[in-house]
Amino acid sequence: MRTGKDTARGSIVRQVRHAASKVCGVTVASISGLTVRYGAFTALSEFTVDVPEGCTGLLGPNGAGKTTLLRTLLGFLQPASGRAMVFGHDATTEGQTVRQKVGLMPEQDCHIPGMTAVQFVAYAGELAGMPPSEALRRAHEVLEHCGLGEARYRKVETYSTGMKQRIKLAQAIVHGPRLLLLDEPTNGLDPRGREEMLELIRSISHGKGVNVLVSSHLLPDVERTCDRVIVVMGGRLAAESSIKDFKRVDGHPVDVELREPSAAFVNSLATRGGNLLEVRRNTYRVQVSGTPEAVSRTILEAAKEAQAQVRGLTPAERTLEEAFLAAIHK
Amino acid sequence: MTTPTSPIADLSYRHYDGPLNPPTFRWWCIAKASMRMNVKKTSFWAYGTISAAWYLVMAVVLYISATFGPSGMSQGLGEVHWRDEFLTAFGYSQLGLMLCALLLGAGAIANDNRANALLVYLSKPCTKLDYVMGKWVGIAIPITLMSAIPAIGFYGYCVASFRDVGFPTSPVLALDMLVLSLVPGILHASLALGISSLFRQGRLAGAAYAGLYFLSLFFTVIVGQILMATSGHVSGDVVPANGLLGNLYYCSVDGIQIGLAKIVLGVDGSRALLHSPFSVGIPSGWLLLLFLAISALACWVAWVRVRAVEVIG
Repeated sequence: MRTGKDTARGSIVRQVRHAASKVCGVTVASISGLTVRYGAFTALSEFTVDVPEGCTGLLGPNGAGKTTLLRTLLGFLQPASGRAMVFGHDATTEGQTVRQKVGLMPEQDCHIPGMTAVQFVAYAGELAGMPPSEALRRAHEVLEHCGLGEARYRKVETYSTGMKQRIKLAQAIVHGPRLLLLDEPTNGLDPRGREEMLELIRSISHGKGVNVLVSSHLLPDVERTCDRVIVVMGGRLAAESSIKDFKRVDGHPVDVELREPSAAFVNSLATRGGNLLEVRRNTYRVQVSGTPEAVSRTILEAAKEAQAQVRGLTPAERTLEEAFLAAIHK
Repeated sequence: MTTPTSPIADLSYRHYDGPLNPPTFRWWCIAKASMRMNVKKTSFWAYGTISAAWYLVMAVVLYISATFGPSGMSQGLGEVHWRDEFLTAFGYSQLGLMLCALLLGAGAIANDNRANALLVYLSKPCTKLDYVMGKWVGIAIPITLMSAIPAIGFYGYCVASFRDVGFPTSPVLALDMLVLSLVPGILHASLALGISSLFRQGRLAGAAYAGLYFLSLFFTVIVGQILMATSGHVSGDVVPANGLLGNLYYCSVDGIQIGLAKIVLGVDGSRALLHSPFSVGIPSGWLLLLFLAISALACWVAWVRVRAVEVIG
C-alpha cells in the first residue's frame, strides 16, 4: 500500500522531472513528416511539429486538421507516411501504451448510460488500468476538484451542460495522465462556467506536471490558458511558437504612449532615423534600429526635444487574433 | 470552482502516482461493469424468475406428488423420462432468457452510441476487441447463469429426493445441462450485440431483436403446422428431422436452441409429461454449424460497426 510519504515523493520527483525537462527542452509529442489521408482527401500533409511540455494551444480554422492530429496522437488513424511519437511511444503501433498516458476530454457530450458521476469516473479510471479501490478513491477526489462533489451521486444524464463539461474533464484526469488533450473545453458554457473551466485547466496545467494540448476556436481561451500555440492551416503547420513570440510584430517596433499627441515628437524622431508605423490617439508605434537600450535612448531624446511627456514605452504586440489571421493568410 | 464548505480540505489538483495495470484484459473490466449494472435492475430478476418458472412448477408438482399423493403416484415417478422433462423445462425457459437478452443486450452498444460512450472507452487503453468482447461477455455470462442455475438446482433437488425412484445419479445429466446453458448465452449475446450495434437507441434495437425472435418463431411454427396438416401427419407423431418440415422447425432463434438441446440431451421430447404441439426428431450436426455461423455473423456485425475513428469529430 502506498503511503502519503510515497505519494509526496512521487509528486516531487514528477515536478523535478518536469522542471528538468523544461530546461532540457523535452517534448511530450514529436510529429515528423505526418501525412494522413481519408481516401483521396489529405487531412495532414508532411506535418512536422514538436509539442513541448506545458500548455499548448492548437489553433486553426474548421477543417484545418486539428481533429485529425488528435486522432493520430491517440492512435486511431494509420498515417500514410511519417509518424507521431507520444512520450517516446509510436502512437500507431503502441496506441494502448500511449492512451494510458494520455487523457482525452472530447468536444461532444459523452458518458456511460445509467451510471452516477462517481461510478462513471471510477469506471474510467479502471479502464485506464487503476485498481478498483484506487479508482473509486480517486474518482471522489477529482470530482471534488472539478466542482462536482455535491452532485457525484446523480446520474450523468441529469447533468446540465456545464456539469457535463466538468465530468468530461474529470474522467480524462482520473488516471493522472501526463498529457491531456482538450477538444473545445469551454463549448456551451456560460461566461461564469467558462471562467471556472479556464481556471481549472490553468490550475492543472501549471505547476502540476500535466501537459495540456488545447484545441479551441476561441482565441481568448487559448491566450488565457496556454504558453505556446501551434497553428494548423490546410493540413500544414502555419506557425508554432510561444504566445509572446507569436504576438510579437516583425522588426521589433515600440509603442510610445505620450501624455498628449505631439507632431513635434514625430518630426524629432524622424530626424533621428525613426519610422512612424501607426498612430492610435496618443500612442505612436515607431520603429527605430539599434539595441533595445539605444532605441529607448533615441525615443526619450526625441521626446525631450519635442517637450512631450512619455507615459509608456513597450515593445509592440499584436492581438492573438491579428497574429492568428496573419499566420493563416501567410 | 471549489467550495469552502467541501468536506475535503485540499481541493487542488493532485497527480495520481499510484499503480496502473498494464493494458491487458480490459474486456473483463467492461464485462464486470456491465454485469454489475444489470444485476441491480429489478426486471433482470423478474425475467430470471420467468425463465426458471417451469423448473419451479415441476419441483412443486413432484414434491406434492411424493409427499401428499397416494403411494401409487410415488411409484409412477419411476416412469418419468427425466431428460425429456429437462428438455421441456429448457424450452419453456426460452422466453425468459430472451427477455433477459433484450434487457441486457439491446442497449449494450446502441445506448453507448447515443451517449457517445465509445469516446470514453476507446480513448482509454482499450481496443475495439476489448470493447466488443467485454460487452459480449457481460451479456453471455448472466444469461448462461440464468439458464444453468435453475437447471442445476432442480437437478440437485431431484438427486436428493428421487434417486430411489429412478432419477439418474450419474452427473452426466448435470454436465449436459451445463453445456446446454452455454447455448442461449452465446446465441442471445451475439444476436443482441450485433443488432444493438446497428442502432443509436436501445429501444429500437430491442424492438428489432424482439421482432426477429418472434417473427422467426411464428413463421416456422405456423408454416410447420400448415405443412403438418397438408402432409397428413397425425398430431402427436414425431416428425423426423429431415425434409422441409423437419428442418424448418429449427430455423428460428428458439428452434436453434431447442434443436441443440435435443442433440445434447439425446431426446426429442416426445415422452415428456407435457407434449409440444408437434414433436420433431433430433436434428443433425448442421444445426451446430448454423448456430456457430449465426453467432459469428452477429459478432462480426458488431465488430464492423464499432469504429474508433468515429469517436472524435
